[in-house]
Amino acid sequence: MAGSKGREGEMLESIYSVLALVFILVACVELGDAATVVDVYRLIQYDLAGVPFGSRLASLNHHAGSLPFAPGADLSRTVVIIPFREVNITFLRDYIMQRQPLGGLLLLLPQNISSESREEAEEGDRNNGKELIRSELAELEKLLVHVNIPYPVYFAFEDDKITAVLADVKTNDATGQPATATTGGYKLVVSTPEPKKLASPTITNIQGWLPGLKADGDVNQLPTIAIVASYDTFGAAPALSVGSDSNGSGVVALLEIARLFSLLYSNPKTRGRYNLLFGLTSGGPYNYNGTFKWLQSFDQRLRESIDYAICLNSIGSWDDELWIHVSKPPENAYIKQVFESFSSVAEELGVKIGLKHKKINVSNPRVAWEHEQFSKSRVTAVTLSELSVAPELLESTGGLSDSRHFVNGIAVSRSVKLVAESLARHIYGHQGKNIQIFADGSSLAVNPFYIQSWLDLMSQTPRVAPFLPKNDPFILALKKELADHTAEVNVQHEALDGIFTFYDLTKASLNIYQVASVTFDLLLLLVLGSYLIILFSFLVITTRGLDDLISLFRRPPSRKVKMA
Amino acid sequence: MTVFHFFNCAILTFGPHAVYYSATPLSEYDTIGTSVKAATVYLGTALVKELLKALIGFIDVAGLYFALTQLTHRNISQNHKFQAVGLGWAFADSVLHRLAPLWVRARGLEFTWEYILQGLEANANLVLTISLAALGSLMWLRKNKPRALVPIIYACAGILATMPSITSYLRRGLGWHLPKVVGFELFASLMMAFISWQLFSACQKPSA
Repeated sequence: MAGSKGREGEMLESIYSVLALVFILVACVELGDAATVVDVYRLIQYDLAGVPFGSRLASLNHHAGSLPFAPGADLSRTVVIIPFREVNITFLRDYIMQRQPLGGLLLLLPQNISSESREEAEEGDRNNGKELIRSELAELEKLLVHVNIPYPVYFAFEDDKITAVLADVKTNDATGQPATATTGGYKLVVSTPEPKKLASPTITNIQGWLPGLKADGDVNQLPTIAIVASYDTFGAAPALSVGSDSNGSGVVALLEIARLFSLLYSNPKTRGRYNLLFGLTSGGPYNYNGTFKWLQSFDQRLRESIDYAICLNSIGSWDDELWIHVSKPPENAYIKQVFESFSSVAEELGVKIGLKHKKINVSNPRVAWEHEQFSKSRVTAVTLSELSVAPELLESTGGLSDSRHFVNGIAVSRSVKLVAESLARHIYGHQGKNIQIFADGSSLAVNPFYIQSWLDLMSQTPRVAPFLPKNDPFILALKKELADHTAEVNVQHEALDGIFTFYDLTKASLNIYQVASVTFDLLLLLVLGSYLIILFSFLVITTRGLDDLISLFRRPPSRKVKMA
Repeated sequence: MTVFHFFNCAILTFGPHAVYYSATPLSEYDTIGTSVKAATVYLGTALVKELLKALIGFIDVAGLYFALTQLTHRNISQNHKFQAVGLGWAFADSVLHRLAPLWVRARGLEFTWEYILQGLEANANLVLTISLAALGSLMWLRKNKPRALVPIIYACAGILATMPSITSYLRRGLGWHLPKVVGFELFASLMMAFISWQLFSACQKPSA
């Protein structure tokens, strides 16, 4: 008997210890059971010459709130959700400039600019709405990129779940009480580590070389024409900066031009007497730092052999007017030649081309156009663009407002035709003659499907340079594509110059929990406590009698009464 | 054409049996009788299996019988015995089925009504179990019961024993939501408690 009891005791003990272990293990399990999980994209965080900009925090754990703010409310522990159509730029600007405290900001972007959305850019009055959205997005981006915000700012795309949450939050707020720990509501949680500086971001330049036909007995170096486009972007949300127009359109045009000329140059009978150098540069938003480094890597002979360079910048959303920007005075012979060849082709295509001259200010470090870097290295260069004014630093760099819907393949095709025909006339000496080499319907026609598919790819790839590692698949894809069209491809990796510092964490998952307030918990405790007390009294009364219940609460009768 | 499809699938399903019989020496030795007998025995076994599946809930009753009659208790009155047995039974049931989900899920940030409803269900379960234990003690521990009440006792005990199947049918078959099911359970438990209390006191009168 005693032995079996002992064994029983041991078994019980082991069972208890196993149970305890199970409980401990279970307690350590992450409680990630949010009703809604949304992909969110963080506002960029960067330092410019040591001055901090952008959103400085990443992790979030506060209650949700909405506009309009209740007057005098303390919002330092509230995350405000603002759908894009309710954004009031002046209000936001004032709020940020006055350094008002806020737990966090969640901006909801319209679904139709998402790269997942498959709507095509249509003509008609849809365009007006889209133009309005585009300009408002650009304004919002400009505001957010140039201020220092000490709380997390995230972007998300509107969908059913988050719209339902926002509607709930609005009705709760309408009753006058902002959501805090005691009034329930929704809690937004983003759990990420602290954002860290990105050590030595790299910029990668890819160049393709298409050699021209050297005549026998010709010892001189053939002249070279360079076609350049920068491919990287910068925007308020680096994970969303796909830059379809700035400068996806330029890259796609460059690839198509390379394809057309590789067809011409593949046959020695049609190979021109010019070398063609194609350059896909990075570091565009940062004063064309990559172009500068690329030019530095040229040897003297190559640099001197370049007749002129054409830089492509934003040629995807124009209607009938393009601009050629120069830094050398328009009276310069080379510039005149280039402009004339472009103009004659433009006239035939029904496109208006204007010439804009902007002098380089050597003391100003700002490089607004890519051709300015060439000019600084004594190479004649022009930039072809739909923009008529030089963009400011970090402006028109392919941010939030630059999605697939705002660029169309037809504009890119016409730009390709314009550049290719002008180049061909110069290379083959057909100036002034009305010969169409890349005629529609010929084997050398501009391929709209090629352009569409590359535009689609560009619109789905965020390309902020510090977040593109050296061997990113996209860079390798560009290299491979250029290698298909040119004879020799070189890749140059450089470090981004000093004044910009970037921080990581561009994408996160937002958990939205519906929480009951502390008041609810207290109320429930009260209700359950009274339920248990009533149950207790009921059971005492029914099983032991009312007197027993009363006697539980009475002190034992005093000796006086007992004795009496 | 669908009849054709039926025919095709039927020959795929049943063909091999016929083919096996005719191709192997089985057909020579005329073993069809044995196969038919085996088939009949299978039908019997299947019947027994289905019956067991329907009555699996009655293992609860067997367990309560064991707890009430076979275990050695201290010398306590009938009245207290069934209550104590029912209490222990219901507590163990709650711990086994409700503690783990409660611990893992109710501590999260997300608020749901589920665990409050589960708690109410545990309350209903306690009342039901005590009623069942009362009826059980009436059935097995009390020898002199008024004749008329005996079938009622057995009927009520049957209802209580099949209560889990009833609730799962309501949930899955009729598609009732959890609050409705819990409400039904609470109501049913109070009704059955009242009925068993009446039966118990009715049976108590002769010996009192």
